[in-house]
Amino acid sequence: MSDAATPTPTARRTAGASSSPLADAWRRLRRRPDTIAAAVVLVFFGLMAAFPTLFTSTSPRTCPIREARTTPQGWGGEHPLGTDALGCDVLATLVHGIRPSLLLAIVVVGVSLLIGVTLGLLAGYYLGWVDYLVSRAVEVFLVIPLLLAALLVLSLFKGVDLGTGTFNVILLPAVVLILFGWMPYARYVRASTLEAKNLDYVTAARSLGASDLRIMGRHVLPNAIGTVTALLPTSVAGVISAEAVLSFLGIGVRPPATSWGIQIEQGSEWVLGGAPHILLAPLICLVATVLALVVLGDALRDALDPRLAA
Amino acid sequence: MGRYILRRAAQAVGTLLLVMFLLHLLTTVAIQLNGNPAQAFFGDKVATPAQVAAVEQRFNLDDPCYDQVGNPCLGPFVERLGQYAQGDFGTNLRGREVSEIVATAAPNTIRLFCVVLVTWLALGMLLGSAAARWRGSPGDHGIRLTSVLIDAFPVFVLLIVYRYVVAVPLNRWAEDTFGENSWPPYWFKPSFDPDHPWATVVVPGILLGLAGSAAFIRLVRASQLDSYQGDHVRTARSKGLTEGRVVVHHVVRNSSVPVVTAVGLTFAEALGGAVITEGLMNIYGMGGVLWEAVRNDDVGLVLGVVTLLAAVTVVVMIVVDIAYALLDPRIRYE
Amino acid sequence: MRQARITTLAAAAAVVALTVAGCTPNDTVEGDGPVTLETWISQDMETLFPGDAGAYDNISVLDVVYDGLVRYDPETTEPYNYVAESIEPNDDNTVWTIKIKPDLTFQNGEPVDADAFARSWNYTADGDNGLYSNYFFGIIEGYDEMQPTTDDDGNITAEGAADELSGLKVTDDLTLEVTLASPFAGFATMLGYTGFFPIAQECLDDVEKCALEPIGNGPFQVTDWQQSQELTAEKWADYTLDETPSYDAIHWTEYAAGETAGWADFKAGDLDLSFPPTAEVESAKNDPELSERYVEKPGASLTYLGFSGYTEGPWNDIEFRKAISMAIDREGIISSLGSGQATPADSWVVPGGVPGGEAGTCEWCVYDPEAAKAALEKAGGWPDGEKLQISLGDDDAEVEYFTAIGNSIEEVLGIPYELNILPSDDYFSTRSAQGFDGMFRNNWFPDYPLNENYLSFYASGEPGAGHWGWYSEDFETKLDEAAAAPSLDESVALYQEAEAILAEEFPTIPFRWSFSATYYSDRLENVILNPFSGAPILRKIDVTA
Repeated sequence: MSDAATPTPTARRTAGASSSPLADAWRRLRRRPDTIAAAVVLVFFGLMAAFPTLFTSTSPRTCPIREARTTPQGWGGEHPLGTDALGCDVLATLVHGIRPSLLLAIVVVGVSLLIGVTLGLLAGYYLGWVDYLVSRAVEVFLVIPLLLAALLVLSLFKGVDLGTGTFNVILLPAVVLILFGWMPYARYVRASTLEAKNLDYVTAARSLGASDLRIMGRHVLPNAIGTVTALLPTSVAGVISAEAVLSFLGIGVRPPATSWGIQIEQGSEWVLGGAPHILLAPLICLVATVLALVVLGDALRDALDPRLAA
Repeated sequence: MGRYILRRAAQAVGTLLLVMFLLHLLTTVAIQLNGNPAQAFFGDKVATPAQVAAVEQRFNLDDPCYDQVGNPCLGPFVERLGQYAQGDFGTNLRGREVSEIVATAAPNTIRLFCVVLVTWLALGMLLGSAAARWRGSPGDHGIRLTSVLIDAFPVFVLLIVYRYVVAVPLNRWAEDTFGENSWPPYWFKPSFDPDHPWATVVVPGILLGLAGSAAFIRLVRASQLDSYQGDHVRTARSKGLTEGRVVVHHVVRNSSVPVVTAVGLTFAEALGGAVITEGLMNIYGMGGVLWEAVRNDDVGLVLGVVTLLAAVTVVVMIVVDIAYALLDPRIRYE
Repeated sequence: MRQARITTLAAAAAVVALTVAGCTPNDTVEGDGPVTLETWISQDMETLFPGDAGAYDNISVLDVVYDGLVRYDPETTEPYNYVAESIEPNDDNTVWTIKIKPDLTFQNGEPVDADAFARSWNYTADGDNGLYSNYFFGIIEGYDEMQPTTDDDGNITAEGAADELSGLKVTDDLTLEVTLASPFAGFATMLGYTGFFPIAQECLDDVEKCALEPIGNGPFQVTDWQQSQELTAEKWADYTLDETPSYDAIHWTEYAAGETAGWADFKAGDLDLSFPPTAEVESAKNDPELSERYVEKPGASLTYLGFSGYTEGPWNDIEFRKAISMAIDREGIISSLGSGQATPADSWVVPGGVPGGEAGTCEWCVYDPEAAKAALEKAGGWPDGEKLQISLGDDDAEVEYFTAIGNSIEEVLGIPYELNILPSDDYFSTRSAQGFDGMFRNNWFPDYPLNENYLSFYASGEPGAGHWGWYSEDFETKLDEAAAAPSLDESVALYQEAEAILAEEFPTIPFRWSFSATYYSDRLENVILNPFSGAPILRKIDVTA
């Protein structure tokens, strides 16, 4: 019995199904209001990351200290969400801080997905020693908890100067999160490959003399990818949260570069100091984003695996 | 059965060796990138010559392989394994034995974990069962939403708010209501008190447990949903058993199997959470030690503790596997 | 049924363990137990060896465990003889005769005599032992011979030739004769510093043990130290000197996160002394009940900015340094970030507390955006596309301060900046290695109350040397002159002239003075702050049960 919290990869699709599973899934997705709300939230923050100037004209680096901790003035005011402990505009920081968080999430999930899918596919398809190696590697990386690994790696590599570009700033957290984050994908893909491999049409393709590469790419992978797709939103959410925790520990993105994690960390000081908005603004955004992603992930999973739908 | 356990244990030793090798590789690469091997252990911290010499000797850093980027440095690795085998996990920057530090810190972490475990099981079983039982009801949706919210909320914010906003008034209230020498005021102490280790660890433990409980709630719900659709439940129902009996004997019981497995996996995650909890609540445990070590750039200590914790995790995972095998008759252990 | 039982059992076992452990009644004794002062230190304290204690925390513990030759008056900061009977210099302040009070002992019964001091000083002055307070002894003759030689990378190539200071003589049981390497009128003022405390022979025999279980000669005796958790010191029954404490024990709780950690516990009644985190300073101030239990004192520690004078850059132009200084809104930053914990600095020597300290010696330490812009213009502006690097150690509060400083500079002068946060606040060696490029944080915590202590470290000996690559012949001549002055007053006046030269050449920019403040619980009375460490003088506090 496999881990039941996640959908068991199913080969429910019979050879005679009329439409593709993804189209089915899409139809089911659209019917849920929570999914639509989640999508709207995500599009909103996506826009924010892509076009920050649409949302604020203030620079996050203009921080007159004498205006520190202004309370929120509402839309139309000079500081709609107030200013933080240093006098920087909270809205501007928020809008500009989403980029590193999001970039990190996309890079981490993208790369770990790539590694996980490749290894999982190879292991599940060839079995034997390939499988042995991959399974071992998965086990080894699972043993070291992500946060401990992050602590170790980041303290080991603190002395290595990486520069201050947008990408450089997130490089170290990204490497850690990838290094210790690819295993779930590998496990799921391996499991679904195992199932898909024995399906009739795959056997048929093989007996017709199709190459391994072709079978994997055309027949096995599309079947396996569904499970993993459902994992993606949740994984992105996980990375965004993890970034906040790393920033809190002082080993994530570093100031004056800014991210939601840093804002939350700095704001948490002021909850009692008469300026809760410094914490609340980024916290609400973070929770909203993560929530939206998880809802989307749930919906996606249900859509791809109708058995579990409520 | 005995053979299964043996095989599993042998496998675990292999895993542990590989984990150590992985940690060794990471350290090696860091050293090769950082330049001066011993200095790498101090980051940008300024070390006295004595400290540098100690680190050099400890990790055999005089080995020339540390100057060649890409060289896995197998020689020093073997030597270090020898040291681990003798129970020597190195020292911190000031020369205190890691094993000694861990020995003083571990009991507090274990206390914390007991509380966390109870919280997990209690919340997971209660909410998860309820959600599965009344699947699709508003209650089910509520529980799902709660579990998602718990996941989304950074645990450190929870702890900070508790410590600075909630704890002091609660503590005052408890003192006024129950008297200064009763137990409730101790539950709400804003930080850990070594003289009352259990009482002061309860609330931090519950908070940390709360943070990890979301996974359990979902897990229990999903596995019980599976059970509800299972043949054995249908049979039980058709036999005319009362619904309560069906739920307790055929659904809840079966769902405990994946829960046990998940305890092992989540244990590793909770170790990470302990760093924040212990750091913030001033609990002198393994996490608190790591928290300080990272702040002080004490890589030797971080490395030692992480290695030890990885070993513990491996052991926990075998125990869980064996428990799993005992619990689930479908597992074959040939 | 089996599986259900196992899970239930596990859960039940844990619950039982919790309740059993949690339900025995508490045995805290009220009233007739020992009266204990509850205070805190930070967790990184690792040693209580006098010669190796450089941090605020060790010093505050050692201050009750050991007694020095002199102690300092909390009001005037002037030293008064404590373990010393008398301290007399010769005419040119080169040879000092120290007489020690008779019949004093260590907590293990060994006598506190001239030997006790000599063995401590020789051990600390020996560079091979690598102790923190080593550099203090550079003033005594024979110090150089005790230092190891190092190559360019800082690796030790040979140990120091001598093991004893040739300038330190024990002339009889209770008399020490100290010959200085050069005249210094303020030598007596230095002697109350932890580095000059005596140690017992038993301590020297096992220094490692002594660092954890100190054998002091002060009013309190360390009875238990659970490193990183807590430290307890109890009153030493055989204490004979007059500063006898009025209560029985001190209990320090060690905190990982520093000061802010203690505040919640203070409010919950578990600590007797604490100061709120920045965010809560206002509300504490406005609390009528709390504000009655509050003491404050201007601190003596200076945070200032230095430049890498040894690298090429606009900062080698004094006009540029002026521009930076006048672009920093000290008032604004401090009132927003460090309310009640700092005051803006406009001098290099702390005003008011220390002999020779005067406010306003820094002409360009006022916030004046217009003048700043003009000065930058005069200096030739800032190179396009470059960022000003500001380096500092890893400390949350300081990162916040320096972000604000950077913002202020960027706003006024349009110079973009980046923070180079090094993973430790221990800067000394990176700084000595001249490893920075741009601006960096400096902090000076005075060791003894004399303006000389704030100035002498600017002497670099030759052009391009020193932490800031700054050298001024006039300045160094003035320092020598001041050290050789016949009386302390004349010496202080000459040091003031040296400060004026510093102000003129402006190698560093004063930023803020520390400001010490403490809230105390209603059990305490007579809480006085040490005028220059800012720590409450624990041995003088009165505690009611």
